[in-house]
Amino acid sequence: MKTRKIITVGLIIGTLAIGILSGCGKKEAGGATISTGTTVAKETKVPKEIKLDYATYNIESLVLKEKGWVEEEFSKDGTKVTFVQSQGSNKSLEFLKSSSVDFGSTAGGAALIAKAKGAPIEGIYIYSKPEWAALVTTKDSPIQSVVDLKGKKVAATIGTDPYIFLLRALDEVGLSKDDIEFIPLQHSDGANALITNQVDAWAGLDPHIARVEVENGARLFYRNVDFNTYGFLNVRSDFAKEYPETVERVIKVYEKAKQWIAENPDEVVTLLEKEAALKKEVAQKQLERTDFTESIPGDNQKAALIKAAEILKKEELIPKETDIEKIVNELVNGSYASKAISK
Amino acid sequence: MKGKIKINATKIRGMILPIILIIIWQVFSSVGIFEKHLLPGPIVVMGALIELLKTGELITHVLATTYRVLSGFLIGASIAIIFGTLTGYYTKAFELCDPLIQALRTIPSLAWVPLFILWLGIGESSKLSLIAVGVFFPVYLNWVMGIRGVDPKYIEVGAMYHFTPMETIRKILIPATLPFLFTGLRTGLGLGWMFVVAAELMGASSGLGYLMVLGQNSSAPELILGSIIMFAVLGNITDTVLIYIEGKVLHWKESFKGGENNVSH
Repeated sequence: MKTRKIITVGLIIGTLAIGILSGCGKKEAGGATISTGTTVAKETKVPKEIKLDYATYNIESLVLKEKGWVEEEFSKDGTKVTFVQSQGSNKSLEFLKSSSVDFGSTAGGAALIAKAKGAPIEGIYIYSKPEWAALVTTKDSPIQSVVDLKGKKVAATIGTDPYIFLLRALDEVGLSKDDIEFIPLQHSDGANALITNQVDAWAGLDPHIARVEVENGARLFYRNVDFNTYGFLNVRSDFAKEYPETVERVIKVYEKAKQWIAENPDEVVTLLEKEAALKKEVAQKQLERTDFTESIPGDNQKAALIKAAEILKKEELIPKETDIEKIVNELVNGSYASKAISK
Repeated sequence: MKGKIKINATKIRGMILPIILIIIWQVFSSVGIFEKHLLPGPIVVMGALIELLKTGELITHVLATTYRVLSGFLIGASIAIIFGTLTGYYTKAFELCDPLIQALRTIPSLAWVPLFILWLGIGESSKLSLIAVGVFFPVYLNWVMGIRGVDPKYIEVGAMYHFTPMETIRKILIPATLPFLFTGLRTGLGLGWMFVVAAELMGASSGLGYLMVLGQNSSAPELILGSIIMFAVLGNITDTVLIYIEGKVLHWKESFKGGENNVSH
């Protein structure tokens, strides 16, 4: 009798606990399904809150954060706008998956890995075509090319474009991750580890690369524009399904920021100095290596991702059974941007 | 006969709740209540672990982490015992050092990480130091308590028999304080496992903590869960070993062994 009581109580508590925990998670993701805004028509539901990320590798996000244009756009709907800082694609993806942000900025390749493993996200806007990843070493290092990396300590952030860049560079010369001593460090920590000689090389990300170039004379011993997989603004699929007009409006604001960047090159540098705490030359270098012409995710991006997918499968970052074409098509969604930008 | 049946019932009772929870977990995952990119089911997690076992990676990571814990444990415990003996025995040293140590004790492990990495880099020395720090405090605390708590009556008995200081230490102090030491060692070992996670989150290229970071950053939550499970298993194994050693060393000790069973722990 006593054992039966214990089992029953245990079952009830266990089920309740799990139910509450998973229910909590779902509620956060749902957003405001109760109120639909005060004076807006029933079809155009507006969320109570929009959460976006900002990062030093997404220049438009810094512009938006400083200028307050997102808040301005949604002020008439009474929507709260929150900005969360991201230290890299890996973090943005964590935020997206846990519904801590609705819009997250990542490299295309990073988003592909997450999407292939079931992350419910879509890449809806291209904020830049940067040459933001490269292999970096110190001024006096004997390393001259990728083959010299054999047996050396190399730092990179797992799940980001520089990481994928490193893998592709190694693969190109017939090496793999097992031929080096790989040290996972977040971007800024990797930069510091390089200049304190704790690692021999670093697969880095701008503006951190620009910073160590300018401040410590670090040199980029391997560059490859084609290995970079675009700056994607991703949205949570649930959010997009529920608030498609909101997604278009956010894209419009992003385009506004992009326009501003094109028309105010000097002010952009000043903004980066302030918001990203970068020296002038560092900010200039980063901008030099960033191309803002494309906005609508389309075939160019799909092609770049399909090329990147090969190494991702090899390194088992995406499951061997993944249907690459399908996943890329599900991820790269230019529909919102096409509508938003043509209007 | 009766004793044997009782022990089996206890073991089975202990396994009921975990098994039920695992079944609920798997059911929720298969049905989709737990989304697979957030909380994969136990079968997926076990699958990932088995894959790693096959490629030999799991053994590499387990050995790396275990080595770090045991080394850090030995370093931290030794320093704690030496320090504890000094402050336990000499009151002046106690009054001097103890307040500082108490203050440092409450600093959480994660707070030491950036500092140690700054000072010692991302190599093994920062990791071992971090673990040693974690192990030091509970071992020190319990050892000092043990020494200072020795019943003076025993010392008097020793004095009556004209014990030399060496004999007092060997025959009275050490046996009286060893139980406290083992409590400290077990706690320290547990903390060692905790601190190794913090240590491996920053710049480790092998180990279960590295596996966790890999899982976190490559959208593979089954690796995170697998790594947690391995931590639990290894923590339990090392703790059991320590309990066994304790049992052997303290076999002479009489203590309250529990009301129902006569199984001493």
